[in-house]
Amino acid sequence: MALKSAQAFFIGWAKKPPKGLRPFLWAISAVLIGAAAGVSFGLGVSVPDPGSGSFQWGAGYQVLEGVVESKPYPVLRVKPEAAGDTAKTILLSGVGKRGVQTRADPLDGQNVKVGGVMLERGSISMLQVGGKVQITPLDKPADSYTPQAAEDLGKWRLTGEICDGKCYSGAMRPGIGLAHKACANLCIIGGIPPVFVTTGAVQGTNFFLLADPAGNPVPEAIYDVVGRLVTLEGNVERRDDLLVFKADFATVKYNW
Amino acid sequence: MSVKYVPVIWNRTKFAYDAVVLAMIGTYLGLYLYIAPAFQSVTKPIDGHIYWAQAFGSCVFLLLTVILCVGPLARLDKRFLPLLYNRRHLGVMTCVLALFHVSYVIDWYYAFSPINKYAAVLFSNTSYAEFLGFPFEILGLFALLILLVLACTSHDFWLHFLGPPTWKTLHMGIYFAYALVVGHVALGALQGAAGPLMSTVVVGSVALVVSLHLVAARKEKVTDTDSPPEDKEDTKWLDLGDPLSIPDKRALIVSIDESERVAVFRNGTKVSAISNVCAHQNGPLGEGKIVYGCVTCPWHGYQYRLEDGCSPPPFKEKIPTYRLRLEKGRLQLNPEALPAGTYVEPVQLSG
Ligand code: FES
Repeated sequence: MALKSAQAFFIGWAKKPPKGLRPFLWAISAVLIGAAAGVSFGLGVSVPDPGSGSFQWGAGYQVLEGVVESKPYPVLRVKPEAAGDTAKTILLSGVGKRGVQTRADPLDGQNVKVGGVMLERGSISMLQVGGKVQITPLDKPADSYTPQAAEDLGKWRLTGEICDGKCYSGAMRPGIGLAHKACANLCIIGGIPPVFVTTGAVQGTNFFLLADPAGNPVPEAIYDVVGRLVTLEGNVERRDDLLVFKADFATVKYNW
Repeated sequence: MSVKYVPVIWNRTKFAYDAVVLAMIGTYLGLYLYIAPAFQSVTKPIDGHIYWAQAFGSCVFLLLTVILCVGPLARLDKRFLPLLYNRRHLGVMTCVLALFHVSYVIDWYYAFSPINKYAAVLFSNTSYAEFLGFPFEILGLFALLILLVLACTSHDFWLHFLGPPTWKTLHMGIYFAYALVVGHVALGALQGAAGPLMSTVVVGSVALVVSLHLVAARKEKVTDTDSPPEDKEDTKWLDLGDPLSIPDKRALIVSIDESERVAVFRNGTKVSAISNVCAHQNGPLGEGKIVYGCVTCPWHGYQYRLEDGCSPPPFKEKIPTYRLRLEKGRLQLNPEALPAGTYVEPVQLSG
């Protein structure tokens, strides 16, 4: 049989391949389709977990009150519902790959009402500002809220990855890593707050809002660093449950 | 074969070929997209666009691997020739799948931004000086451009328009495209977006392509050095030995030098020598067979008459012929090629 099929002469324009060759061709076809099935299933099943982050569509449209702070990136110091509740700070972004910097700047430090949809992943919360309320200053807040002053936690050295806060929070799954770098850059260019995600938990969190050493938005030079595993040094500041990492980009060390 | 641009029309072999390829692609995408998700261990599913982009992208990579393996496999074992024959169909389908991959990526990673999504592909990551973090999308983009050019010029019209040598050189671009795709995958998907199995598959595929090419190249070298010894007395004529040792309807391939080979065919009691190089795409005529009285190329079935190296009318292909003679029962070949289409009386064997 093997000899017969080895001698069979195939002519492309012939209506059918020679008889002796057909079993071989059927076998090859079966092997190829079988291999396609095996590899496909194997690859599809073994995709890495993109994490728990996602839009909280189920919770519906949220309207929150608090104080907006525009530096380094817009955050809302959410007013606790009852006295004694722990204060929270959430990141703010616009719809799509847009930040809300230009809207937050003139309202820096003011009591506002903010509306939108929440994104959550672990200890990170972000509100995608939109809908009817947007960011509306409260003219005469019945009882205006004054958040705690930021607390300086001193100089830290952290290892992790720079991500855009929105994709990391679940706007994209997976929203981290080098395959996602171009997308993350695009988000940060558009004004989405960048975050530093540490490899292990530090003080109960593994994400930090990123700023330059003076507490301003990060310089363009970080686009080369996004998505890579790096070690950075800088001062850390606490605003309620949010840690802000004022990283000195001159200290960057690539871990691989 | 040159009177029209479609030398071969659709036939059952082609339908079967395409059906098998489509079954392969369908099985791959179907299982990846609809069955595998039920068995994943993920907290929340991967975004649809990203998952579809992964499915199409990995399918493209694997198909390119198959395309590149078919060539050396057919050289190592003739039974693989049918896989080579319609390989351009495979190439065109791969190109279409690559376009799907790109559209899923662009409509997700590059969408939702104030910046134009196509411009964003080029400008959102400019870390060209880095290795990790290099804009691997650009590698994929160049590979896609090559695939598009190859797919568009895959029709026989282009083969005739450009001429076989240019066409063949152009289509060697598939190797460059594969190298770009490997870089694209290594610096992109393999950096954390795909699981460890993908790394194994990529390394295994590249190893397979490289080793098959090396083995096939070695085999050809061995065949080349097999050339018969020159006759000392008369250096002009090469001794080929007993003509009856050539199997009927088949050829003995004689290497005259590095680049020139002659196919010496036996058709019953007649022996003729023609160039080993097919006028279509340089296919090895000596590996072909005499069918309906004509030498038939093993690659795409172009045919030539033994006595003058011309394709039977209405076709117009011509290849060089060579002179043969019989000395004391031994066949001898004059290595000097005659102009393509020159008539040479076949050597008549007794009995
Ligand atoms: S190379 Fe195509 S028929 Fe010979």
